[in-house]
Amino acid sequence: MTEAIATKIDPSILTSSSAPDDAETCMDVNKLNLFYGESQALTDISFQMKKNHVTAFIGPSGCGKSTLLRCFNRMNDLVDSVRVEGEIILDGKNIYAPDIDVTSLRQRVGMVFQKPNPFPMSILENVAYGLRLQGIKKRSLLEEKVEWALRGSALWDEVKDRLDESALGLSGGQQQRLVIARAIAIEPEILLLDEPASALDPISTLKIEELIYELKSQYTILIVTHNMQQAARVSDETAFMYMGEMIEFGKTNEIFTNPAKKQTEDYITGRYG
Amino acid sequence: MQDKALKTPIQTRYNQRALKDRMARYFVASGGISVIIAILLIFFYLLYVVIPMFGSAEITEGATYATPGEGKTIHLGLEEQGTIGVRFTDHGHVIFFNTDSGSIVRDESLDLPANISSISSNLDLVVLGLENGSALAVQYKFDLSYPDDVRTLTPRLEFPLGQDLLVLDESSQALTQIVIQLNEDGAGLAATTSDKRLVSARYTREESFISEEITTELTSNSELALENTIRSIALTPTLDHLYASTDKTLTDFSLDENGFDGEKTKYYFKHEITQLKLLLGGSSLMVGLANGEVQQWMSVRKDNGRELTFIRNFHANEHKNAQPVTSIATEQQRKGFAVADSKGDITLYYSTSQRTLANINTAKSSIENMAWSARAQNLLVSDNKNQLHLYKVHNEYPEVSWDVLWGKIWYEGYDEADYIWQSSASTNEFEPKFSLMPLAFGTIKAAFYAMIFAIPIAILGAIFTAQFMAPRMRQTVKPAIEIMEALPTVILGFLAGLWLAPYVETHLAGIFALLLILPAGFIFCAWLWRFVPNKSLLEGWEAMILIPVVLFLIWLSMILSSPIETLFFDGDLRMHLSNEWGLNYDQRNALVVGLIMGFAVIPTIFSIAEDALFSVPQHLVRGSLALGATRWQTMTSVVLPAASPGIFSAIMMGFGRAVGETMIVLMATGNTPLMDMSIFQGMRTLAANLAVEVPEAEVFSTHYRVLFLAALILFLFTFVFNTLAEIIRHRLRQRYSGL
Repeated sequence: MTEAIATKIDPSILTSSSAPDDAETCMDVNKLNLFYGESQALTDISFQMKKNHVTAFIGPSGCGKSTLLRCFNRMNDLVDSVRVEGEIILDGKNIYAPDIDVTSLRQRVGMVFQKPNPFPMSILENVAYGLRLQGIKKRSLLEEKVEWALRGSALWDEVKDRLDESALGLSGGQQQRLVIARAIAIEPEILLLDEPASALDPISTLKIEELIYELKSQYTILIVTHNMQQAARVSDETAFMYMGEMIEFGKTNEIFTNPAKKQTEDYITGRYG
Repeated sequence: MQDKALKTPIQTRYNQRALKDRMARYFVASGGISVIIAILLIFFYLLYVVIPMFGSAEITEGATYATPGEGKTIHLGLEEQGTIGVRFTDHGHVIFFNTDSGSIVRDESLDLPANISSISSNLDLVVLGLENGSALAVQYKFDLSYPDDVRTLTPRLEFPLGQDLLVLDESSQALTQIVIQLNEDGAGLAATTSDKRLVSARYTREESFISEEITTELTSNSELALENTIRSIALTPTLDHLYASTDKTLTDFSLDENGFDGEKTKYYFKHEITQLKLLLGGSSLMVGLANGEVQQWMSVRKDNGRELTFIRNFHANEHKNAQPVTSIATEQQRKGFAVADSKGDITLYYSTSQRTLANINTAKSSIENMAWSARAQNLLVSDNKNQLHLYKVHNEYPEVSWDVLWGKIWYEGYDEADYIWQSSASTNEFEPKFSLMPLAFGTIKAAFYAMIFAIPIAILGAIFTAQFMAPRMRQTVKPAIEIMEALPTVILGFLAGLWLAPYVETHLAGIFALLLILPAGFIFCAWLWRFVPNKSLLEGWEAMILIPVVLFLIWLSMILSSPIETLFFDGDLRMHLSNEWGLNYDQRNALVVGLIMGFAVIPTIFSIAEDALFSVPQHLVRGSLALGATRWQTMTSVVLPAASPGIFSAIMMGFGRAVGETMIVLMATGNTPLMDMSIFQGMRTLAANLAVEVPEAEVFSTHYRVLFLAALILFLFTFVFNTLAEIIRHRLRQRYSGL
């Protein structure tokens, strides 16, 4: 069985060695349950996320990995009749506590969606959007931050001459990197990436993956992906989810080379999903 | 093999499907094309009715012949249809003749005791002044009969003041000029004598029921001695002004029941005055001058009483070798007139529109007399070479010009030039006033006030519904408001006119207090909202809680209405408005129209704006929220900019609807075509005007065609607005699909 895995995942692409194992905990998820009306979407999720690590969520469609991701910046609040139990501790505070300001939470926990969603504005304004929300008005400061964010998302060289053009004129991969630039412009602590490369071509995917690798040094990253090679390539920890439960959570190279649960192994080897 | 393959069940089904597909396509396409055709047909029909109005008049020579009968023509007349002409000769004969051939129908002698020294006419009433100082009024009539089914006219003479001569000048001097005005109970005459005196006389007239014999009685007469010889005179139908011209001076003599009251005003001209003539109705004095120009003067109220005032002039031959005006013939049913000069040039003008309509010169010699038929289709002319000319005139729409429709026109009886719409009146002598400005203004005004009311409510409502309202509440609210659109506007108009207008009138202060109380109440509620526990449960349902608040505030305002009036406005706001601010209050005013038409327009604007806002892609909203934006920030910086073209098109649709709206404005305004932006005054809109006047307009009359022009304008206006709105929406849809 180990051989079978080896044929699918080349251990050399695993990256766990690059992150320190003893990193401090960034987020602590504790018995998280989520209900859409009567139906339960997440059951008893508990795990710890390490700072400056990349955590990947894998699992078949509908397993609740995107739902879980959206719990971290409370985007699930937008869904009608959603109910969350349990707690997610960030900096010693439960983000579902009643006195939490959701907008400032979202400024600390940025998110990038599956489909690139640049606003119908110029490239500059897209990146500056989050900064303006925080009340930054000074043009020079905005431009400085925009350049920093665009460099951070490896897009600067491609767009520096057309910052005032509409963002909708960019290619899909560029749009996704723009959206990442928009997210990092406000300097969040955590980045949530919801299948960030699933709508992109292989070259763009590669660029995004390289970007994730670089961003890791500054941000704690959570990524949902269907692409297991991608999970293996970019993440330090991997969580396998199935039917709203977290089946297995551990170091990526362990999950991929020596999964503890049979379900995980079946999924990784392609039995279902 | 292939044939067989084509007949497989799947293939057959495929063929059927293709056929259905094709049929559906043709059906849909033909539907769309027929809509376009219908719109084009409407457009071209309107255009077809409107266009003749702007054509020019035509005058052609019908017949020319030597003057039938003996003697010199001193006056010409025409029967209504222009088939029989009549001429008065210097020998006192009245000769009726066929106008086509010149053959004499009847020759009647008046058997006058003295030679005729002057003559003038007023329609078919002719007055003759004699050398012995007496006068005779003669009217020519035509009896219509159909012997053997042939239309036959039998001319006869009538003497409205009796057949006996009226002695105007007791000193028996020849009457050199004479004028007459006949009214219900008598007549007024004025004349000049050969020894430079001006005489006037009034007669009462009684007709015996049994013998039909007419007896006249002199009620007053007076005279004035003058220094100069008077060339021409004109007497107003009200008998209170006599205009007389000498050389280059026009004198306005004032008259009362006893004759000249001593007042006179002089006006000086640059050129010699050759002719004086009153236009139909007698309000306008046409002054013909030696340079071929004709000036229109009217008696206008000024600070120090009435005064003759120059209104406009007519001078088609200005740049040609100008000849003196020898004759002015005024039309019998309109404000048009023909002017002839000493070289035989005849020009047709229309006073209101100041149009020069047509020009002809076939006589080539000085024109002495002219006569119009009743409908101004025939013009009979005599020249100094003893020739008669019959002209056929085709001149149906002289009243309309660009200036008449859109400019300020100085109408008879008005103190200044103004935009007036008044298409008909009870008398024939009425001057139609076809300014579309008050109607266009009223349309814009009604739409403006409706939009002031509707835009904030509809747009803010749409924003709340699309972005903040709980989805379950939205599911009921949106269709409910859209159903409001289906409410027949006649019901709304009915409510506006019969319930709201009187209600607003009595609660005016309350209505305005609402403007303060409502926002203040909302702010107070927002403050109270802070203390509500478990707000998240109520999220999206806030509007529901506000409904009783709104109702309460409205009730409160209405209750407070009369105390406010007592406290601040001396008990009556309307009186206060008119006394202190000079604002008159009409019960059916722009405020009522604004409220009710605003109500009618809200669903249109709301529905389209809400669609535009709601269809802003959710991933944009989520993207913004994920960046830590509040819902309000997301609303203002992402959703509104993205949906703004849609909101703009919603406003335009609403405006288009408000402009075309008929029943509400018809019933809720006084339909007064005023040009006053005041919110307390009524208005008349193009659409309401059509509804009121189309049924009563004579088909293919100028009035009818002007109404069609109004319809065309309305059509184009709403068409352009809706098309523009639709194009913008289409663009928006394309933009969304790219997001």
